[in-house]
Amino acid sequence: MNKPELVVDGKRLDGRRFDEIRDLKITAAPLKNADGSAYIEWGNNRILAAVYGPKEATPRHLSDPSKAIIKCRYSMAPFSGLSEHGRSGPNRRAIEISKVIKEVFENVVVLSDFPGSEIDIFIEVLQGDGGTRAAGLTAASVAVASAGIHMRDLVYAVSAGRIDEHIAVDFTMIEDNYSDCDMPIAVAPRNNEILLLQMDGEMTKEQMSEAISMALEAGKKVNVAQRNALKEAYARAGEEKN
Amino acid sequence: MRDMIIPGDMVSDKPLRIANGFIQNGKTYSKVLGVYDAAERTIIPLEGSWMPRLEDSVVGIITEARPKVYIVDLSYFGRALLIPGKYDRYEFQPGDIISALIKNIEGKNTIILEDPKPLEGGTILSIKPKKIPRVIGKKSTMVRQIAEYSGTHIVVGMNGLIWLKDGNIALATEALLKVEREAHLSGLTDTIKNFLEKNKSE
Amino acid sequence: MEAIDIVKTSYIKELIAKGIREDGRKANEFRKIEIVSGLIKNAEGSAQVDLGATRVLAGVKLNLDEPMEDTPNQGNLVVSAELLPLASASYETGPPSPDSIELARVVDRGIRHAKCVNLESLFVEEAKAWTVYVDLYVLNYNGNLFDAGSIAAMSALLSTEVPKYEDGKVVREERVSKLKIDNIITSSTFAKVGGKSLLDPTANETNAAYSRVTIATDEKYVRAMQKGMSGGFSAKEIEELIEVAFNNHKEQKDIIKKSQK
Repeated sequence: MNKPELVVDGKRLDGRRFDEIRDLKITAAPLKNADGSAYIEWGNNRILAAVYGPKEATPRHLSDPSKAIIKCRYSMAPFSGLSEHGRSGPNRRAIEISKVIKEVFENVVVLSDFPGSEIDIFIEVLQGDGGTRAAGLTAASVAVASAGIHMRDLVYAVSAGRIDEHIAVDFTMIEDNYSDCDMPIAVAPRNNEILLLQMDGEMTKEQMSEAISMALEAGKKVNVAQRNALKEAYARAGEEKN
Repeated sequence: MRDMIIPGDMVSDKPLRIANGFIQNGKTYSKVLGVYDAAERTIIPLEGSWMPRLEDSVVGIITEARPKVYIVDLSYFGRALLIPGKYDRYEFQPGDIISALIKNIEGKNTIILEDPKPLEGGTILSIKPKKIPRVIGKKSTMVRQIAEYSGTHIVVGMNGLIWLKDGNIALATEALLKVEREAHLSGLTDTIKNFLEKNKSE
Repeated sequence: MEAIDIVKTSYIKELIAKGIREDGRKANEFRKIEIVSGLIKNAEGSAQVDLGATRVLAGVKLNLDEPMEDTPNQGNLVVSAELLPLASASYETGPPSPDSIELARVVDRGIRHAKCVNLESLFVEEAKAWTVYVDLYVLNYNGNLFDAGSIAAMSALLSTEVPKYEDGKVVREERVSKLKIDNIITSSTFAKVGGKSLLDPTANETNAAYSRVTIATDEKYVRAMQKGMSGGFSAKEIEELIEVAFNNHKEQKDIIKKSQK
């Protein structure tokens, strides 16, 4: 396999430094029907997240009388990738991602405030270029907040890993494919609590520490983008005055 | 605009037992996207589902008529029941619209209603529950001006369902949706008044 | 249907009896159509359409496949649709529903029978031809997915570029030509409420209706039709609606063409 050079003249293929995340912009509440929604453009990723709830749990007999249950669906559009038309329907990867993202929201959402209800989170990847679960979760967090659902923190996610001897954050698809480790991490920023962590590859203990630190540092910018999106949504609502 | 607070933001370095807030390590944080009124020490959520309170007045639709209880749809995730007492003389069919009061909340999410009044004809508009206080306005000034200009009979439910009948329902609906969109802005009463005057004759 | 939808349905019927639509439109008036073309760069073609509050995103991908046995010198067209659960509280997660399948097949028929996509131009070489996959992603539902879907598919196809094929391999990062489009299809959908046929029905109007018909035409010919729901139409009504669909053709076609800058 011809592994492409991911690092040229000490810089990454798109010119970024190792600790630099791609450009990112989030728009809150772009959808009319959903109770909350957000659209994220992170590098070349284009992802739509939406929330319905709290609503009546269906089927009723599976509801939990003491708290809300969360359902999460992460899915990639068949036209979202750089290669061929993909098959429809969730594959095993998507199902696993749906599960680990759901578990993040089961932590930060104050489930006990909505007993017996259901909260549905949808993440649709319209265009993907590496780090889609991190971008999707980051958008979903804004969507949940925009729905007014009680949360303890505005959680975000970012990926980190290793390319040769360099620890780096926020991999594009090509970096993801050829890196020596890729690790998505979701963080509740108030106490820097890690709520999602998946890793595969080859890393020493020291490299792991460095990667996690770099992710936490880079994540601050992600969190700022989320906050800006929410503030802008209310400024925007004011502009529609007429 | 007052500073917006985001879930997880600290609103006080003291532990305050306030709605929409939670305490951790002796400090108070917000659970919601909202605005913090430091003087009143209240967190005002900008969005969110209706949290029922005793004596709230609601608008709902009868969905089931069982021998001893009516099931009522309040667009709420829990159950809402209307249980006629021994001396109650009302009778409803599925599909009937009613206004009612919250008598009790049982088991955390089951609402018991009382004092139902039928609302015949008309239509229902669904507004985000957190905007309802603004739709009503101080001493009902906002909803009254909308009703006046449109000539529409309006009954507002705290649960976010609003019953509208007769008059210029389209105008009333537009005005109500405008309040919903701009609820967080100041000078809204005048804005709506201007809107109603401008569009009244169309 | 939710209880509140039933209340709105009664109200719609009351309004129609008085000759009024809930948003003030005339019986044969479309809602505002907005199209953004080419927004998904990974896809070979794309377009997002807002028809009132209904929003549909169409993505086009080309796969190099073997031609079908009975048409060895041309490529293929496949149209699919997903009613994403995020588009409406009434949509559920799960396998493709009959509604989503009907939507895909109806939009497909208009495009196919108007011969919009030049299938011969998709032929590459012996045993190799492009299959054009059009996926309709419904992002927000407020009625009339048929027309929104048709406009989105047609706009996405117009924006589509064909990848390079060299030395037996697809070089997807390079796009060498525009997809050859020979014709433009337009679509008009009507829902009948209280005896009146309403063009471009909203979700509430659709809930209040008992019959529905979609008519896809180009400038001269009716290319596809689909009657839906359980109610009926008289022959005269169908003829009148075909006339309206033809009258709508030019304006919708112009809007679609303008979206390609």
